[in-house]
Amino acid sequence: MAPDLRPLGWLGALAAVAAAPVQVVVAADYLSVEQAQRVLFPQADRFTEVALALDAAQRERVQRLAGPQPPHRSLRAFRALQGDAQVGTVFIDEVVGKQDFITYAAGIDAGGQLKPLEVLSYRESHGGEIRSEAWRHQFAGRGDLEALRVAVDIKNIAGATLSCEHVTQGVRWLMALWQIALKPSANV
Amino acid sequence: MNRKSHRPGSWSLALATAAALTGGPAQAAGDDAATLKALQQQLQQIQAELKGLAEENRALKEHEAEVDRKLAALNAPAGGTAPVAQAVPVAPAAAVPDNTSALPNASALPSTAALSPTATASPGTTGPGLFGTGLRLWGYGEVYYTNPTSERQDSQFDLARAVFGIGYQFDEKTEFNSEYEVEHAVASADDPGEFEVEQFYVDRHLNDYVTARAGLFLMPFGLLNEHHEPTNFYGVQRNFVETLIIPSTWREGGLNFHGDTPLGIGWNAGVTTGFDLSKWDFAPEFPPYHTALDLENSGVAPLQATHQELALANGRHLSQYLALSYYGVPGLNLGAAISTGDAVPVPAPPNAPIPGNQRVALWEAHARWTPGPFDLTALYARGTISNTALINQSNPGSPNPIPSAFYGYYFQGAMQAWQHGDYKLNPFVRYEVYNMGSKYDGTAGPVIPEGDVPLSAAPGDYGRWPVWYDRVWTVGANFYLGPHLVLKTDYQWFKDNVDFKRWDLGLGIAF
Repeated sequence: MAPDLRPLGWLGALAAVAAAPVQVVVAADYLSVEQAQRVLFPQADRFTEVALALDAAQRERVQRLAGPQPPHRSLRAFRALQGDAQVGTVFIDEVVGKQDFITYAAGIDAGGQLKPLEVLSYRESHGGEIRSEAWRHQFAGRGDLEALRVAVDIKNIAGATLSCEHVTQGVRWLMALWQIALKPSANV
Repeated sequence: MNRKSHRPGSWSLALATAAALTGGPAQAAGDDAATLKALQQQLQQIQAELKGLAEENRALKEHEAEVDRKLAALNAPAGGTAPVAQAVPVAPAAAVPDNTSALPNASALPSTAALSPTATASPGTTGPGLFGTGLRLWGYGEVYYTNPTSERQDSQFDLARAVFGIGYQFDEKTEFNSEYEVEHAVASADDPGEFEVEQFYVDRHLNDYVTARAGLFLMPFGLLNEHHEPTNFYGVQRNFVETLIIPSTWREGGLNFHGDTPLGIGWNAGVTTGFDLSKWDFAPEFPPYHTALDLENSGVAPLQATHQELALANGRHLSQYLALSYYGVPGLNLGAAISTGDAVPVPAPPNAPIPGNQRVALWEAHARWTPGPFDLTALYARGTISNTALINQSNPGSPNPIPSAFYGYYFQGAMQAWQHGDYKLNPFVRYEVYNMGSKYDGTAGPVIPEGDVPLSAAPGDYGRWPVWYDRVWTVGANFYLGPHLVLKTDYQWFKDNVDFKRWDLGLGIAF
């Protein structure tokens, strides 16, 4: 008896749509570091990398402010400069989503307010919903760690819970780091 | 590099210049020619040395650029393409950080940041996964204690499930994922456990918005089926609606396309294997369950009893499905899905009319809203099976006829009541209704024996035959110890099968 292949008809049509000439890109990478810098602070004319060197006391203060952290990998920080004025700080951070690292960029302006997050690389097959504009824009304008609480202030997306929570925890670390070590008035 | 070797050239240039400046018109013409020749020779020598210096300078610059590239590769996240900017120290010669990681900026990273066992071990490795090999491992599991307070002799401890996942990323666009599950600790012919392949599929990313998937995969129905790790739901056991109506963990073999958009719309559509009604048991000798835990484990619900799980699944009848979700407003998740397809029919008895195609359909809609510390959920699911009248008429008096409709819904409210560090306490309350046979064709419904009936072949094991519908209240709490570990407790009241009420404790792990 031949298989009933009727359901394949509309799936074929869907496949044809899926295979339409959309720009094919490497799925995991969405922005370069340079592109993220320009998106976060378009008014800046240059970005200079900052070497971060915290002593044990500073890092303990950051840890206390930021709270529990997921595994991080690399962390880079850049001053965004317009002429001689610093207009903000750009962090390129990596935290574990569920199994692999998410690379994201966070910008903090000179007044200590966050910009919307930018996702540079997402490497897992589940949880990529954090790329949605609505989720990333939840961070914009927040400058207080009390307004950056996991799940309470920054809402999770069902199915991307770990990615949402870990990136939010990572941003809390960056905000605490900025307040302790990079804020213009910080005692460093 | 030997910088001293260039000094003779410099002296030669100075001498030549001095000679040129000190030469006077009183010199003889012959001397002029000789001097000119000497100067030309010296000029050629200087030009050659300058050329050598330029070449050396170029090599030095190339070397410096190469060092910069290597530093950038060491410091940059994967995918980062920015050159290394001028480093600016922000702190005075800081004390030696106690984080001894070799990572740049290591002193600014959390000291608690132990690497995930399967995440890329260090920057600069060539791929994701276990030590950069592309291999991924994960797992989850649940241990229960269930105490049916009306039937305390039936209280049980159970390693309900232990699941281990293996994935492999072939390249940036193609990856494999699989999960293997042992239910009830021991799987053998003489034990209650089962060993199952829960997922086994390959994903191919076609572009930013479309991924193709083929193999055995979870159906994108409801809130629980795809995300059924114990840290993802409230209550020790999964809710009844997403167990009996949506047959979690529901998986089928097939092909799908799925994706997400930046606007927060997720979609998933595919063709899969369907249901097999020929497996239906019209004449169970004993009640298929007599506790709530039995009910969840018995596989008696319409789609639990007929799903095929890609175990020599029938290939004649395929189903199709479509699922949509919306998460474009932070804190709000809306979703709906529908699946429909012809099932493997129940064989008609000899000389009985052959029923038409028996189509199984299931649809659901759900919403989740998380304002402030609250987590509010609602879900409705309904299934239908067509052309069941003749088959049910052929099995008169059955305690388990095939329903033509079944449904369930629940409302759940939870809140994050307390948090300290990575400890969280989330109490919840849930009200759910399920009916595994809301409508029957060809029969008035299950014919259930009245009074006590034998529950098993064991002597003296008597009890009531339960009804196939209920209304259940659940009150409990999840206590999280970080994102990977949860302790749970709850109490459940059943309005119809009143003796099912129970108290549960659970331990859940997911990583």
